[in-house]
Amino acid sequence: MSEILTIAEASRRIAARKLSPVELAKSHLDRIKRLDPALNAFLLVTEERALADAKAAEARQMSGGLRGPLDGIPIAHKDIYNTAGIRTTAHSRLLEHNVPARDAHTVRKWADAGTVLLGKLATHEFAFGGPSFDVPWPPARNPWNREHFTAGSSSGTGAAVAAGMILGGTGSDTGGSIRGPAALCGIAGIKPTYGLSSRAGILPLAFTLDHAGPMAWTAEDCALLLQGMAGHDPEDPASVNRPVPDFTADIGKSAKGLRIGVVRHFFETDHPVSAATKAGIDQAMDFFKKEGAEVRDVKLSPAMDWHAVGYLIMITEAFTLHAPWLRERFADYGELFHDRVALAATVSGPDLAQAVRRRRVLCQEMADAMADLDILVSASQPGEAPRIAEVPKWANMEKPSFTMPCNVTGFPAISICTGFGEGGLPVSMQLAGKPFTEPMLFRAAHAYETAMPWRAKRPKL
Amino acid sequence: MSLPPIDEAELHRMLARAGLTLTPEQVRSILPGAAIVRRMIERVNAPLPREAEPAVIFEAGTFTAEKWLCPRS
Repeated sequence: MSEILTIAEASRRIAARKLSPVELAKSHLDRIKRLDPALNAFLLVTEERALADAKAAEARQMSGGLRGPLDGIPIAHKDIYNTAGIRTTAHSRLLEHNVPARDAHTVRKWADAGTVLLGKLATHEFAFGGPSFDVPWPPARNPWNREHFTAGSSSGTGAAVAAGMILGGTGSDTGGSIRGPAALCGIAGIKPTYGLSSRAGILPLAFTLDHAGPMAWTAEDCALLLQGMAGHDPEDPASVNRPVPDFTADIGKSAKGLRIGVVRHFFETDHPVSAATKAGIDQAMDFFKKEGAEVRDVKLSPAMDWHAVGYLIMITEAFTLHAPWLRERFADYGELFHDRVALAATVSGPDLAQAVRRRRVLCQEMADAMADLDILVSASQPGEAPRIAEVPKWANMEKPSFTMPCNVTGFPAISICTGFGEGGLPVSMQLAGKPFTEPMLFRAAHAYETAMPWRAKRPKL
Repeated sequence: MSLPPIDEAELHRMLARAGLTLTPEQVRSILPGAAIVRRMIERVNAPLPREAEPAVIFEAGTFTAEKWLCPRS
């Protein structure tokens, strides 16, 4: 099988008994064997488990007992998601031999939905410290050009999906760690509303900013995967107890009537983006206007205000989690992680309190800005993927991130591909919604993706 | 609010107070990042509007995760 399917298509074929889950799993395992030595997306391939999962899915297929659209779908987890009996390392020497006893809540939910686990995926160390060359495993490489960066921290998931080694996978997002790799690897990735999917059993970075979400080739596939992840979990104190909507309910509807605000100053003046990134956003807005959406510019506080608040909270929360190891085993971390998190020592109590107070003001500001809007549009990344060897040590601090505002507020946001720029590398945009409006975000993203040719183009590998 | 630039000795003292006993080389490795964080600290310490006062925005009895996300909804 040489064709790489979407989850939606694979699911339809499995339901129609036109595709064997075992053959699908074998084809992906073969692809991993062929491609991953050059891409480093996997820290561990769980071939035996994958074949067992696939055989069980095939038995359900033949008996008419499929569990839903994720049954028989090959996936993998970012290696901060605990997997019972399977090594979970956070891509760090500190957890090099860590084998959890329990699955993360979301890992268990995907397993119960019938997914086929192919393995564990590269991350930046503890979801923060990459790209690192001084940790036990090399960083993942970008399938569009392996000399280029994937972004992070869900780097392995971005690379594995883009290379067609998996059909979907998990990511986590504290300042943009789902949307960044989705953008640079040319795929889709959603950071859901804070509280929508459980973080229990996922190694934390910063507990008031961490989100768990899916990454896949298309927005529709992300909707299917999020359906299998979302839901209340009393073990995550931030988990919201409310009914889970049907995330695919509005897939296929046009964008007519949507009210879209473009935060143009973020990507034109606060942190100017590449020509292809800007052109992609402008073309997308033309598309939405033609569809009958209302599009206008919106002004928010400078991007650096959002970034500073998020970053200070992130490093101080991360420090509180890692302080015992930082004090005793500083040199066991990679340089990027320990140097970034140690900076929390320069943040005083009053400074943190100010950041938290300002966070409330920014939350209110975004809510007010969206009072008569459905979507806020910005860039996901400043441009095409840089060369991995040339990513500056302080790159994620010096210039404001486009993704951090939705970590600060908890609002949902999806990154989707808007074409290709310099060197044939993907560019992207970000669509953000009001809390718990994921079905509308999937509707808009799907309308755009299906009208554009980008999803037909895969990396040449 | 303008903070004085941070130097190696000051950074060493701050790290030690946080329980991190590092070599001079390790401290020097962190120093460029400390300058960036200092600019972030200056930014979050800019004056806030009256609405930002905790007594105005925090309602202990009604605080929920959804309230956090949509404070005025």
